[in-house]
Amino acid sequence: MKILIVEDETEMAKTIETSLEQSGYRVETAADFRTALDKIISFQYDCILLDIGLPDGSGLDLLKELKTMKKDDAVIIISAKDSVDDKIKGLEFGADDYLAKPFHLAELNARIKSVIRRKNRQEDEFLNYKNLAVDFENRLVKINDKELTLNRKEFDLLYFFLTNPGRLIAKTSIAEYVWGDHAEDSDSLDFVYSQIKNLRKKLQQNGAEIEIQSIYGAGYKLI
Amino acid sequence: MKPVSLKYYTLRYFSVIIPLVIALWAASFYWLIVDEVYDNIDDGLKDTELRIKDEITKNPKLLKTNEFGLAKFKFTELNPGDYEYKRHIYNAQMYMEYDGDDEPIRMLQSIFQFNGKNYQLEIYASTIEEDEFAFNLFLSLAGLYFILVASMVLLNHFVLKKVWKPFYSLMDQMGSYKLGEKNRIDASPGRISEFAELETGINEMIERSEKIYLSQKQFIENASHELQTPIAIMGNKLEMMLTDENMNENQLSRISELLQDLSRLKKLNKSLLKLSKIENTQYNEVSVQNFNRLTHEIFDELNELYAEKGLKTEIREDGIFEFEMNPELSNILLGNLIRNAFIHCPTDGNIQIHITETQLEIKNSGDSALDADRIFERFYRNSKSSKSSGLGLAMVKSIVHNYPNLSVGYRFENQHIFWLRKR
Repeated sequence: MKILIVEDETEMAKTIETSLEQSGYRVETAADFRTALDKIISFQYDCILLDIGLPDGSGLDLLKELKTMKKDDAVIIISAKDSVDDKIKGLEFGADDYLAKPFHLAELNARIKSVIRRKNRQEDEFLNYKNLAVDFENRLVKINDKELTLNRKEFDLLYFFLTNPGRLIAKTSIAEYVWGDHAEDSDSLDFVYSQIKNLRKKLQQNGAEIEIQSIYGAGYKLI
Repeated sequence: MKPVSLKYYTLRYFSVIIPLVIALWAASFYWLIVDEVYDNIDDGLKDTELRIKDEITKNPKLLKTNEFGLAKFKFTELNPGDYEYKRHIYNAQMYMEYDGDDEPIRMLQSIFQFNGKNYQLEIYASTIEEDEFAFNLFLSLAGLYFILVASMVLLNHFVLKKVWKPFYSLMDQMGSYKLGEKNRIDASPGRISEFAELETGINEMIERSEKIYLSQKQFIENASHELQTPIAIMGNKLEMMLTDENMNENQLSRISELLQDLSRLKKLNKSLLKLSKIENTQYNEVSVQNFNRLTHEIFDELNELYAEKGLKTEIREDGIFEFEMNPELSNILLGNLIRNAFIHCPTDGNIQIHITETQLEIKNSGDSALDADRIFERFYRNSKSSKSSGLGLAMVKSIVHNYPNLSVGYRFENQHIFWLRKR
């Protein structure tokens, strides 16, 4: 899987790059419009992370170029401008997702997996991990082909862990992924704990081979 | 001391100063007139004296007139002796039969020699009655005083009212002036230069404050925007450290704590950015928003998230609350209000939302009233809780401020009630 990061903040690009490489992607970076355009023309990527505000142009124009070249690389806009208008504009121009800065790397992982899965329809609809199969589009979970009923938040949690296997995820990352805009309340961390507890119980009772391990004080890890 | 209006203030001074001026003026007027009158009478008396003295040379029998009669003069033959021949005029009283009383007169007394004999000639003329004159003068001056004061009141009432009109209009506009609404003061000062200057001065002041206000707002927006990237990088680096296999549990736990602090900073910064965007009215697109549907969406989401709290929640709908506004803002507005109820409602408490066509009320359990005046202020927090950023309700207020037909408020009736109303 090949990913292009178009981001003018080198520090930012570097961290994302390292994180994605750890997750097993091949990563390239472009710090300005020209370099990005060259790379887009010359290569095919599974996913492009696109910053809108570039020093010599707008990320949105890159998006337009992609469309005129009839390329179907998945695109996730990463923008410091967190506004619905921007988001709508980005999606209208053909982006697959929109992630406002600052974001958690674990969340970026989840989003990248989602858009790539959506692009590659020919693949199996299910994401398989050990004896678990998850269909994100239809929000279905199967353990050994037996369907498992989860509520919305439990499903989101499971999906978040499955897209970040083996990675220690901080409590705050989980809270923000599950709670979104509502994560302002500090109670959200406690509630995350109980939601994970419920999810664990359901997984265990239904014979799942996966385990959500809690790393004391730091967060959780899917193993 | 309670301030009085300009009208009464000037009137108060005038009503004190005018009688003083009038009294002073009356005294000098009286003195001048009386002096002039005596001067006049004295001239008459002297003239009569000369004519009489002329007459006695032709008709010495006149010297026999030794009673005041028709002629208002008399002669008195003086005993022989050494006399100073001179004229002397003085005030005296004389009994007047017509009103049976002594009346003031002016008396001329002249001693002269005629044919070797000394005579005293006395001529009188009745003078004005001083006390009556003084009284009449006082009466007419009192009348003048009242007329003056009355005209002053009328002047104040009509003329000054007209003259000061720009001033009052200025005052009115200053009272309703709000920073950040870019309105100018227009007092139409007409031809009065002081008011024109005042108007210009105020407008210049407004412009300066507006500029400062605007740059401050812009500064907050830019600052929080610029903070996003370093916060993002910091967060991502910390996250990377979590995946480092060489870290021990203690270190991981510390990093997680750092991430939590950073998360607070991130949310605070996001809220500030949003708040200044709202205040800079950057949300212009509007469409009709169905608050019932929106309430259900937010409510369901929060009910799921706060399931652990064991709250009893209910939405009562007696109408459809619709309002034309920016969709993102309506989301923030309702989201913040409803989330506020969920955050601050005690465990096992109640949350009720009541929607009618014109009003939306969000009620949640609580034991004591909050400070309704300060609750919508930025960073105002009830001392008991540090759960929230302290910007949620400030954001609600700023959003409502952008829509003149919407109002928001808080009251306490055994529970906390936040209401949103269409005007």
